[in-house]
Amino acid sequence: MPRVYISSVIEAPAAKVWDRVRDFNALPRWHPRIRDSRIENGEPSDRVGCVRDFHLQNGERIREKLLGLSDYDMFCTYAILESPMPLTDYVATLRLTPITDGNRTFAEWTAEFDCAETDAEGLVAGIGNDVFQAGFSALKRSVVN
Amino acid sequence: MVKVVKSTVLDAPVEAVWDVLRDFNGHDQWHPAIADSLIDRGYSSDKVGCVRRFHLQDGSELREQLLTLSDADMAFSYCLLETPVPLLNYVAHVRLAPVTDGDQTFWVWESRFDTPQGREKELHQMVAENIYQSGFDAVRLHMGLEST
Repeated sequence: MPRVYISSVIEAPAAKVWDRVRDFNALPRWHPRIRDSRIENGEPSDRVGCVRDFHLQNGERIREKLLGLSDYDMFCTYAILESPMPLTDYVATLRLTPITDGNRTFAEWTAEFDCAETDAEGLVAGIGNDVFQAGFSALKRSVVN
Repeated sequence: MVKVVKSTVLDAPVEAVWDVLRDFNGHDQWHPAIADSLIDRGYSSDKVGCVRRFHLQDGSELREQLLTLSDADMAFSYCLLETPVPLLNYVAHVRLAPVTDGDQTFWVWESRFDTPQGREKELHQMVAENIYQSGFDAVRLHMGLEST
């Protein structure tokens, strides 16, 4: 099962970064690759089980289901229901941990999924760079300022 | 029950930091509070269940037992068996993780313990600053790293 792991240090308190990312419907507000997002059936975005339906800047549509959300441990786990990517059983977790030395944030984003063997390398690199690292880089720029 | 969590970032690859930390008998090489250390019964220091017997600079003796060691997770946990300081039911966890976009290491060191009533704050401070934070600084010095 291919696995993606990207981690970063964000120069802002974890509570502040969490405030930005905990809203499951807020991707367009901080992730540069996401154009728009809505939660299906008008549900609140912190209702575990809710589904976000969003578009990338290139118009591709993805639907993801919130599987777990913890304000205590500062993590969010979700699964892809529909996407143009050739993969199945995709589950990802975004987790923040305070760095007490300097009041900063350690951010980790992991995903596991199934796919054809020939697609694995490209998918791991694409998700790691274009989704996870791009998200962290944007957070670093926006939260610090 | 008191809970202490301290974490930092070291400007070194995670494998290099793990190389220093995974030796349960190696803390006298870098921690300024530790005068000497040996593993009871001549066990190897990566044998889960082994006990390290060590002395602080003031001569007091402590014994700690290795409860978990994982090269896969770059983590270990241990408990205090004997100590002159009243840290009761003390269990600590150390975990490293790579910072993939900077080739650095995230290091978290945490514990839970009981204390005699009224000494919670004092012992929390002692563990957090004199053991964990000064341990972070000491490993940085040991590895010749700059502060980050």
